[in-house]
Amino acid sequence: MTDDGRPEPPSPTGAPASAAVPAPGPVPAGTSSAAPALRVEGLRKAFGQKVAVDGLDLVVPTGSFYGLVGPNGAGKTTTLSMATGLLRPDAGTIEVLGADVWRDPVRAKSLVGVLSDGVALFDRLTGEQLVTYHGLLNGMDRATTAERVADLLELLDLRDAGGTLVVDYSAGMTKKVALACALVHAPRLLVLDEPFESVDPISAANIRDILHGYVDGGGTVIVSSHSMDLVQRMCDHVAVVASGRVLAAGTTDEVRAGSSLEDRFVELVGGRQHNQGPSWLRTS
Amino acid sequence: MVAHLLSLRWRVMLNGFRRSTWQIVAACLGALYGLGVLVLLVGGLFALSFAPERWAWTVAVLGGTVAVVGWVVVPLLLSGVDQTLSIAKLRAFPIPADRLLVALLVCGVLGVPGVVTLVAGVAAGLSWWQHPLSLLAAVAFGVVGVLTCVAGSRALESLTSSLGAHRRYREVMGVLVFIPLILAGPLIIVASTGLSSLGDDLPEIARVLSFTPVGAAWSVPGDLALGRPGEALAKAAIALATLALLVLLWRVGLRRALVASPGAAATGSAKGLGPFRWFPATPTGAVAARTAVYWLRDPRYGGSLVIVPLLPVLAVFLAATTDSDWLLYALGPAIAALLAVTLCADVSYDGTAFAAHLSTGVSGRADRAGRVITLSLFAVPIVVLATVVPLAVLGELELAPALLGAGLGVMLTGFGVSSVASTRFLMPVPAAGESPFKSPQGASLTSMLGMYAAWALSFAFALPELVLAGVALAQGSLALGVAALVVGVVLGSVLLVVGVVRGGASLDARAPELLARLRRAKGA
Repeated sequence: MTDDGRPEPPSPTGAPASAAVPAPGPVPAGTSSAAPALRVEGLRKAFGQKVAVDGLDLVVPTGSFYGLVGPNGAGKTTTLSMATGLLRPDAGTIEVLGADVWRDPVRAKSLVGVLSDGVALFDRLTGEQLVTYHGLLNGMDRATTAERVADLLELLDLRDAGGTLVVDYSAGMTKKVALACALVHAPRLLVLDEPFESVDPISAANIRDILHGYVDGGGTVIVSSHSMDLVQRMCDHVAVVASGRVLAAGTTDEVRAGSSLEDRFVELVGGRQHNQGPSWLRTS
Repeated sequence: MVAHLLSLRWRVMLNGFRRSTWQIVAACLGALYGLGVLVLLVGGLFALSFAPERWAWTVAVLGGTVAVVGWVVVPLLLSGVDQTLSIAKLRAFPIPADRLLVALLVCGVLGVPGVVTLVAGVAAGLSWWQHPLSLLAAVAFGVVGVLTCVAGSRALESLTSSLGAHRRYREVMGVLVFIPLILAGPLIIVASTGLSSLGDDLPEIARVLSFTPVGAAWSVPGDLALGRPGEALAKAAIALATLALLVLLWRVGLRRALVASPGAAATGSAKGLGPFRWFPATPTGAVAARTAVYWLRDPRYGGSLVIVPLLPVLAVFLAATTDSDWLLYALGPAIAALLAVTLCADVSYDGTAFAAHLSTGVSGRADRAGRVITLSLFAVPIVVLATVVPLAVLGELELAPALLGAGLGVMLTGFGVSSVASTRFLMPVPAAGESPFKSPQGASLTSMLGMYAAWALSFAFALPELVLAGVALAQGSLALGVAALVVGVVLGSVLLVVGVVRGGASLDARAPELLARLRRAKGA
């Protein structure tokens, strides 16, 4: 037990730390391996008059690379915030590998790594300090934390910037260090809200490799993104969300049904306007 | 163009009020207060016309000088007082520098502080209604004076903006420049004892100031009325030259700022894990280490402590100049009372970064304990030193137990109380990276009341040791003093632990709601 009564972290030493790509920790006792990585039922959240999430159901199978796509304001970020214990839902249940996020938060949170969009980091810490902080908050011991922090900074090409304050990082570097924070405790499920925003193509490719390696090792990844191309190439499952509901969900091939994901998305969501803009915007 | 920027500025201000009803109430109260002051000022200036001309002249020069200095200095202190029309935001538009300069000058005069200064400056003419020539000069040079205020403030701002691009420099300066300001109040009170003699010197001071760029414009009408046309002419020249020079400087700064790169230079690096090495590798230790880094590196934390080293300076100064050494005795307890509720703002300082504590599932108790540990590590020694050292110098160490008991008791109790309080309400604080002394928008009444309530509760819970200490001091009883010390430390520690446990439970229950409010406070 750690000093404050928390249970032992999922895997202080279990993960093969020598591997270049972080692998998820072993399945802890008490979680049924048959349970999906994430099960969301009847999720609802309203901000005043505005209903952001309206009876959303979602099942993310264990071992899948799951894409969550939707127009701006569809409720993606709200859903992911509730699924990771950051925002209390008005109604509905959320289970991570069989652990209810809102009834058994400590166990559920130890299984999940989170990269949130739109929240600040403790940016007066250096990159190395920030990732270490997240490791220690998860109850990991000093040696394991130090080893994993070094691995992650190396992996994400941040080693030279490890001593720089995060406030002085570029937007892409900030995303990468936030990803390192989400990975440091070897979670079973990774929830990434817009992980590729303002990340350069090479870093994005590196991050994709890391995520694929993580999925191959038995982990589950959920990403939200605006980039249909990226989701189509990267994810094996996808859900299209609009107005706080799931319009279509399943394997990527099922959802896109022969056409490209982008065309299918536009077809499902609607609202595409066919015009060429005002005449004065045309130069010739 | 000028009209567009002006309407934009007022639009932004009015829209700001829409965010909450309380802000409208606060603005109305502020406006009423300002109007009252202005009416009094104008009335006073009118009344001066019946006094000897010499008085009106002295008041005009001294008041005008204060206005100019205030306009130039205050924006330096409160970086970002009015960023509505900051050059960084206007840089993207194709506006010629000269036109932008005119627009910004007009907007500066027609903003709220500008209008107040303009009314007061022009109203100075009321003092001279019996001298028609002076009246005309007062109105004209009142406008010159106000323009000098605006141009001076903008010129210095645009010249220092390149210097201030380095974050660390800006942060350190933001704290340092406030030291004289905090000391100014008490110093004036101390100095005012000798003000009766100063009263005779005021005209002499005004005379010197009237030849300087800051006072010249305000002196012209008085000089005319007092029959010194030569001096009036010289000062008019000084005033106009000052204005011209400031506008020129501003223009140079503006031209440079319009083409400067918007990004700030990257700063320091290295230093390894720092405090994360010193504290135990547990969640509590991690929170303590992170808080320690922030105390050292975030100016908002240091800014809240800037008063602590100043209190001893003030106490010694008071004791040296006057015979009252009471502040030397009270130094330890006073600092303890100040530090007692600093934790109230801790979660607010985290901002949305607090989400990290939520997503890692760290227990509320570890969160609370970590914050208290770091603060105690330096607060307890400071209070002990601030109590014992002055008493040792005064040779009255037998008072130390009673004063220590009162100080430590209140402080430890305060840590406990604020551990609970900071999970219940958010303090409005400047966001990370802003000036630590910027008063944030939407400072709500309830959170201010919450902080005072936390303070009052700390004193109420510490009543046993406070009473014991009071009796011990009154009777000069060492035994009662030791009793106060024991009660203060023991009771304070117990309440501290209770506060951490209850605050932790409260945080576990309410953390998502707290995060939601932090997001709103950020304006998301």
